[in-house]
Amino acid sequence: MRWNRLKADLAIIGAEIRKTAKIWFAYKILMFFWAIFPLIWVIPYLFQGKALVGGMSSAPFAQLTGTENYMAFVLIGAMVSTYIFSGLWGVGNSLREETYWGTLEYIIASPTSLLVVLIGKTLAEFLYATVMVIFQATLATFFFGIDITFGKIFPLMMIIVLLVIGFYGFAIAFAGFTLLIKEVHGWVHTLEWVFFLFSPIRYPVEVNAITKLVSAFVPLTYALVAIRAIILLNKSVINLWQILLILGVMDIILIAGGYILFNRLEYRTKKAGTMSQY
Amino acid sequence: MYKKINHYLRAIWAENIKEWKIELTYKADFVRGMIDPLVYVLPYLLYGIALVGGRTSESLEKLTGTGDLITFVTLGYIFIGFLNMALWAMGFSLRKEQYWGTLESVFAAPVPRWVYALGMAAHSTMHQGLMISLQLIVISIVFKLSVNMGGIVPSLGVVGVMLIALYGLGMMIASLTLIFKQGWLISEALSSLIMIITPIAYPLAVLPVFMQKAAMALPTTYGILTVRHFLIGEKMGFSVGTSFLRLAILCVLWVVFGLIVFAFIDKRTRRSGTLAHY
Repeated sequence: MRWNRLKADLAIIGAEIRKTAKIWFAYKILMFFWAIFPLIWVIPYLFQGKALVGGMSSAPFAQLTGTENYMAFVLIGAMVSTYIFSGLWGVGNSLREETYWGTLEYIIASPTSLLVVLIGKTLAEFLYATVMVIFQATLATFFFGIDITFGKIFPLMMIIVLLVIGFYGFAIAFAGFTLLIKEVHGWVHTLEWVFFLFSPIRYPVEVNAITKLVSAFVPLTYALVAIRAIILLNKSVINLWQILLILGVMDIILIAGGYILFNRLEYRTKKAGTMSQY
Repeated sequence: MYKKINHYLRAIWAENIKEWKIELTYKADFVRGMIDPLVYVLPYLLYGIALVGGRTSESLEKLTGTGDLITFVTLGYIFIGFLNMALWAMGFSLRKEQYWGTLESVFAAPVPRWVYALGMAAHSTMHQGLMISLQLIVISIVFKLSVNMGGIVPSLGVVGVMLIALYGLGMMIASLTLIFKQGWLISEALSSLIMIITPIAYPLAVLPVFMQKAAMALPTTYGILTVRHFLIGEKMGFSVGTSFLRLAILCVLWVVFGLIVFAFIDKRTRRSGTLAHY
């Protein structure tokens, strides 16, 4: 019985991944946009760096981050943030999109849990973001000289998986929130700037006491520190065990919290009878 | 003649008031929109501080004649607000009317299309003015900006001339959404590229030559350089008179180009019967 249910759930997850992939391929220009533009958005930071320090390295920057190469710093931040934005828009906003397409009621009426459908969407988003990041990393390697060797790929993937497990837990809770309050574009934008300001995507948060303190509660901070340590400082993953441990603990809290919150919000929306409202 | 102008002015004002009423209905979103630009500028400032280890850059001083990166970047950044006005607020106004189902009613009103466009422009200018004022007040308090007070009045004059040229750009983008419908991709791509070549957080000198030449076709380039020249003494490479002259030429070119594109697309969509298509 349990085995049959698991098989059915896996089939739903597979179907959800196939459906999401079909939608992506229907909008090829969007795939191109998301593969290229996260790198284009950091170009102003590269020119700003050149204007402020007169070259491609900065000693004060090295005191804060361990590396003088500010270009590599912001490029890595841009690549890793692809997972965050795919999580916020692709997972967090996914149920809202189903209401937009008019298909949410069909999904709810099917004999499956909404959470299983969301897991399918989450895995699809992870695959999509990974393809985008591989493309960006290839560009960064060839055009910007970022050194990502094959030996670093496994530890990097390990950290990224640890990052996205927790983050997608949060995104699933956020998806539940969209069932309740419907229009969340503004909220997603606000969360975007929270991540830009309180995690080292674009700059080292250690530069300011407030950003340093707040960023300690954001998993992305630890993931970026570890990823940059591997790529830019050639550190071994074993030396980063403390960061991995913190990420692991945050994952457990975020996944458990995300699951509980989603179920509660789904229940509340169903009780209020507003599930199909747009 | 006087009656006609009065009639048009009333339509412009009505459009402006309508936009304010809609915006103020969503108070939380309105407040978030006010805070957004303030938060978006912080990563640029903190990144700059991290690079030079303080707020003064020798390299920037050599390039521009002013070393205070905080004042330099903040003054440049407020122009993103004006760009957003043209690319997003004006550019998306027709799309919003489509979304609300009121585009046909607006277009059936007995006023020329440019009157409607000016109404959107009036609202966008006031809205952006409010956001920029708030941004400047908060940044001034937190970072203590130091500017030449005598330069404020001529700076407002430059901004006024620049806005006219941006209205032309906004009208062009607004009409493009009638063809492309989900035109956010055009606005996003254009704004990303314009932000690279506009000297917001760096002087023109750090850009490759082809980008410097492209920047000369944008009104915001002259707006930023001249305002910073008046307020913090940035070296422009040309005189204030030349800057005003070039801005005036760009005003004529952009407004004429915007009106032609707007009229052409308006005619085409009505002819093909796709005006009401969503």
